[in-house]
Amino acid sequence: MVTREAIAVPDSTGPTLSLLRGLRREHAKQQAASVAYWVYLIALVVAFYGGAQITTEFHRLRHPPLPSAATPRVLHAAPAALAALALLVFLALLRDALWRGPVTLPQVTVDWLLDTPVDRGRLLRPRFRVSAALAVAAGAAVGVVPAAALVSLGLGGGGTGHALRLGAAAIAPAALLFALGAGAAGLIERYPASGRWLRRATPAALAVAAAFAGLAAWAALGRPPGVLTAIALWSGPWGWAVQGMVALAGGPAPWWPAATALLGALAVVALACAHRAAARVPGAALRARARTIGAMSAAVLSMDTRGVALAYGRGAGTRRARLRLRPPRRRALILLWRDLVALTRAPSRLVGAAALALLAVGLVAVGGHGAQVSLVAVASGLALGYLAAAWLCEGARLDAEDTRRSAALPFRFGSLAWWHAAVPCLVLLVVAGVPVTVLAVAAGAPRFLALLAVTVPVLVGGALVNVFRPRFPPDLFAGTETPVGNTAAITVLVWFAWGPVLALGPMTVLVSGAVGSPAPGALQRAVVIGALLAGGLGTYAARRAARLNSA
Amino acid sequence: MTPPDPPLLVLTGVSRRYGERLALSPVDLTLTAGQCVAVLGANGSGKSTLLRIAAGRDTPTTGQAVYAGRGLTQDDLVVRTEIAVVGDMVSTYPDLTVREHLQLVAVAHGAGRAAGGLVDAALRECRLADHGGALPGSLSSGQLQALHLAVALVRPRRLMILDEPEQRLDPAARRWLAGLLSAEKRAGAAMLMATHHTELAAAVADHIVVLGDGAVVARGAPEETLAAIR
Repeated sequence: MVTREAIAVPDSTGPTLSLLRGLRREHAKQQAASVAYWVYLIALVVAFYGGAQITTEFHRLRHPPLPSAATPRVLHAAPAALAALALLVFLALLRDALWRGPVTLPQVTVDWLLDTPVDRGRLLRPRFRVSAALAVAAGAAVGVVPAAALVSLGLGGGGTGHALRLGAAAIAPAALLFALGAGAAGLIERYPASGRWLRRATPAALAVAAAFAGLAAWAALGRPPGVLTAIALWSGPWGWAVQGMVALAGGPAPWWPAATALLGALAVVALACAHRAAARVPGAALRARARTIGAMSAAVLSMDTRGVALAYGRGAGTRRARLRLRPPRRRALILLWRDLVALTRAPSRLVGAAALALLAVGLVAVGGHGAQVSLVAVASGLALGYLAAAWLCEGARLDAEDTRRSAALPFRFGSLAWWHAAVPCLVLLVVAGVPVTVLAVAAGAPRFLALLAVTVPVLVGGALVNVFRPRFPPDLFAGTETPVGNTAAITVLVWFAWGPVLALGPMTVLVSGAVGSPAPGALQRAVVIGALLAGGLGTYAARRAARLNSA
Repeated sequence: MTPPDPPLLVLTGVSRRYGERLALSPVDLTLTAGQCVAVLGANGSGKSTLLRIAAGRDTPTTGQAVYAGRGLTQDDLVVRTEIAVVGDMVSTYPDLTVREHLQLVAVAHGAGRAAGGLVDAALRECRLADHGGALPGSLSSGQLQALHLAVALVRPRRLMILDEPEQRLDPAARRWLAGLLSAEKRAGAAMLMATHHTELAAAVADHIVVLGDGAVVARGAPEETLAAIR
């Protein structure tokens, strides 16, 4: 078998794949049975918990609700809002190709077949076809959501027929958009250099989506020039995909058949090109994706959310900035420096957290505006603020995932939670402080500043409680049987969301009370209880950290 | 008199940089049929990077990697047909036996009906004859390493890339390995081998390259080079 001469490339694909199929027949049967079981289980859960909702929706489809006073506003906002949503979905589909994509192989196939002369076209194209079919099905399922929303908001027309046509006008383009996404993602996998362009284009795409969202808000409240809505609807496949829905809801999209045809043609071309290109996806890309998916699956199975995030970051090639900060000379500043370095190395985290914090301030301000405080808006705003705080706790997360990392530092592990709170608190106070100060000055109400000063430490405290949570105990899945069912789902959920539950619940009540009432008592109550809560959460996080270290 | 074999693998000034880190400074290396080059060096010295480039699994930042007169990439059918790579194989089919794994590789390389005979011979050669029916999960780490070597033996090969083939093998198995690789070389296989084991390098290699911090610090005939680094 060793030879000095050139070796003829064998035509071994057929026999190899047929041998593998034969050897793994039992395994394939087991896998099919497992898939069937999961489909059955999901159908059962949907029927059990969603049966009533499905019946209601079906009834609503037969007798669509009549337009309300808010319906014209919804109709004005719908084109830009739907285009923004479609753009975000399309971006997510494309970015999927950075770490996974529609053409992937299991690690074991990569290890045993990728280095052989087996024809990669016959190995990879079937995988692309399955992924594309799943994408189309997922797109069709996703398309139901905006259609149902429009019908329930009074845009379903006079009867079942119109509502059904609206549904079809949402489902078919959504399926086409997903097909286009699968095709484009396949081409990104084939040409890995294009991933760099996608990463660069992502902030611009997010900015466009934000502009569309702003346009939608403007359209809901006022009268923007019609040309702006037309630009949103013709700005790309995401706009073409929503035109049918907009037109059937009564919006300004007279050329929707052309837009849908354009989207369909582009999707077909993308699928055809990607199908042909699937055979030439570089081996290096297939190896990297198999590694990432393996790591991510392992993390998911062990309920390790941090592991999932790390595997994604490695696979998607998250960019690291080369900013350098000189280490401080004072011992007390070393951990602050480390947290700042962790943030500056991933500036997207900082930018994202800042954007979330600003949105949070906006939502709370909107929620508190008017005669009655909107609890939903305040709670949503605080939830966004919590997410911003959690994003900024990267330094704490680094210590929590491997307690040995901080062994050389001159701090007890338990006390690290307090130190790690400093940078997130500082960043959030600065970022959110600017708009809150403007609000306070404009409204002549300094209580907003006091509320910010107490809310930020509470949110950071909640985030740190979550960061220093112990390893997931698998026995939580067993739960406890009660007369209303097993508690497993709730206990698992609470285990993961313990930090936000502790921080957001009380703060929603306190902030909405203080924002809505000009009486000083409400503010004092919020500040005092909030400060106690922040201290309590910090102590709890520190105790959790100490326990994590001793485990 | 037969003419000398033309170079099979030619690396010209290949280097590799990962971001700011230079993992491998420019290296030149030529390998002909029946010749073995051993690459020695501490962990992180660039051995595996050099081998990945030689196997077409990594693209050099500078320089050229040429195999049998063509640009070297793992996606090339000729490279997949002629270069056998023995390294860390991370996974196995949990439901296939050792014999079935080898059979799969043999058939994929066009062995057809001869696959059974090739697999038997490789199992015997790698001292796995009693484990053909076992699942890889039940093998010891040394036996798994022997399985990885057996994979290279059931397929046709002109060039073997071996990344620390001695790892996890006991002293007796390492002596067996030296014999196996010497026989491969005599039969005409070109070999590029990274190893920490100077005895193995001395027993098999015709030429030794020593890497340190990604750069060549010594190279030459085994005796002089090994004496120099000792």
